[in-house]
Amino acid sequence: MSALPWSVALWLFAIGFYGMITSRHYVHLIGCLSVMQSGTYVLLLSAGFRWGAGPPVFADHPPGTPAVDPVVQALVLTDIVVGAAVTALLLALALQLHKRRGTLDPEELRPMRR
Amino acid sequence: MISSLPPLAAAGPILVAATLLALGRHLPGRVPDVIAIVAALAVAALGALMAFRAGDGVLLHWFGGWSPREGMPIGIAFQADVAGSVMVALVGILFVASFVFAWGFFEEVGVQFHVLMLVFMAAMCGFCLTRDLFNLFVWFEVMSVAAFALTAYRLEASALEGALNFTVTNSLGSMMMLAGIGLLYARLGRLDMLALGEEAAKAAGDPVIPGAFCLLAAALLIKGATVPFHLWLADAHAVAPSPVSMVFSGGMVAMGVFGLARLTWTVFAPVEAVTEALHAVVLWLGAATSVLGGMLCLGQRHVKRMLAFSTISHTGILLMGVALLSADGLAGTLTYLVGHGLVKAALFALAGVLMARLGGIDEIGLRGRGREIWPARIAFAAGGLLLAGLPVGLMEEGATLLDAAAGAESFRWVILAVPIGAGLTGAAVLRAAGRIFLGWGKVDGEEEGAPSEQEAEKANRPLPLMLAPVAVLLLLASAVPGHLAEEAAQHAASAMMQPGIVPAPVSPGEVPERLPLGWMSLSLALLVAGWHLGRHHLPAILSNGVQALTAPVFAGLERLHSGVTGDELVWILAGLALLSLGLWLA
Repeated sequence: MSALPWSVALWLFAIGFYGMITSRHYVHLIGCLSVMQSGTYVLLLSAGFRWGAGPPVFADHPPGTPAVDPVVQALVLTDIVVGAAVTALLLALALQLHKRRGTLDPEELRPMRR
Repeated sequence: MISSLPPLAAAGPILVAATLLALGRHLPGRVPDVIAIVAALAVAALGALMAFRAGDGVLLHWFGGWSPREGMPIGIAFQADVAGSVMVALVGILFVASFVFAWGFFEEVGVQFHVLMLVFMAAMCGFCLTRDLFNLFVWFEVMSVAAFALTAYRLEASALEGALNFTVTNSLGSMMMLAGIGLLYARLGRLDMLALGEEAAKAAGDPVIPGAFCLLAAALLIKGATVPFHLWLADAHAVAPSPVSMVFSGGMVAMGVFGLARLTWTVFAPVEAVTEALHAVVLWLGAATSVLGGMLCLGQRHVKRMLAFSTISHTGILLMGVALLSADGLAGTLTYLVGHGLVKAALFALAGVLMARLGGIDEIGLRGRGREIWPARIAFAAGGLLLAGLPVGLMEEGATLLDAAAGAESFRWVILAVPIGAGLTGAAVLRAAGRIFLGWGKVDGEEEGAPSEQEAEKANRPLPLMLAPVAVLLLLASAVPGHLAEEAAQHAASAMMQPGIVPAPVSPGEVPERLPLGWMSLSLALLVAGWHLGRHHLPAILSNGVQALTAPVFAGLERLHSGVTGDELVWILAGLALLSLGLWLA
């Protein structure tokens, strides 16, 4: 297996993390979180990939044909759903917060007023 | 033994939640409250029933009948061992207490609170019972999403800020968990945890497996609020509504530690690099968490934030039991976990009583104003004494087991972190009790540094309904006979360690008591609380001298907890680096 997908996953993870740490706007920060999440998808899909294998759908070709691992695809699909829920919730929280504070800069928003 | 009981614990509450959501509008008055309480009671009873049945062997359920074919697990299993079942029972009890406490609290939002709470409960039960690694992740996520929404429920500015930090840090944890699962699956080709353990034993020396552990452990330690992954917790638990904080501190944080114990003893025990890193790094992280959490707890005047830091401190103690890697250590963690969960839920309920009855949560601002609610005074002091290691009940028994486990250590003084953490957190609770309910401990400049936001919770709720769950929780935590708990915990611990993977060093029967940990922490707590409450009677030079020495330490610690999301993420990165360094060197 090639090292390329692993490096891509690591790069997405690192660049997303960097963006989150330095972010000055919550919507940007949530975007960075999604970038990081894509890193895990690349990692998972590359773990199940096999050269020369088809999609794991056996409707039009006989069982036994080489196919990529369907388990990781199911995992990624599940996580995309969960990730969408979390992103939607985060954006809703950010929207409500903007209504009350008028800013979305993490430096200015501190719970407990310290 | 094949059984259809385990899935009920997760599926039941979800079904009830769905029904409530569909019919919610048409249900009169208090009916949703009653339904939710009955559902939680049923889960508690189910947990107890499973714990009894699992004594003769685990209860196993393969979903859809997809049992292993030719030794290869292809389906997803729920497996109830004693430890998992007891966790389910604990979760049920905590939710019953929370629902009774919240009677009438959430009138305005109708059934949405109940629905979220029931889903939250189902997720915790599923997390404790599942045998499939990816399924574990799914329950972890469901638990998190329900928790995020419940934290932000009040839609006030500080609740929203706390919830955003909580969501961002914990989502990062979930991602690390998924990446870790991906790495494990790529190397070992299994998701069933028992099968993963067998494969991991064969793949000794593969460097990817410790890497996967590093990611999984970081995710669980974020949930379990271990230093330096802990910064989100103090804000989230302090801003969440009190009934929700009860379940957060009593149950959700413990899930991180329980998950780590589960993974350690089913998957990673045969991997030498991992066990060595647990011993060399995680044990000390636990000790540091216990001590630092205790100090931060003592430095708070916002009662809920103080309790949140005390949760952090006690999670450190729980983590030490897992990292000691012995049957006694694990048994100690399980016992302590149940005891701490009950006591902490009771204390958060009492904080809720303060917010509802006195309309505030600032320890110094409320000084002397709690005199007329004397039952709360007794309960608050009892909770403080139990946290401080009063030698009765489950927490004391857990500490004794941890002490016995540390006796086999090369550096066994690490166990002293237990009495220090327990003593400091107990001192903080006792100090708050003395100030609020007795009016002791006058402080000059009372207004200075007070929390600025008005914090009050819905006031027109009956006091007996708020105090009844507190009394039951405290009784449960203190009245369980010690030797029974000890026997059950040792049984649960050895069943949780997979036989055939690792020689489990079990020491059944009497546990030798080496250090009087309970008395040590209790005297520390009384000393520190007495100092804080009686300081103004002492000669000024003594009082001011100690103040001048300690104040910069506490101020520095507090300054690290800035509440800025970026800072919290940097600390998580530092923790990840520390873990990987430990794995690399081990």
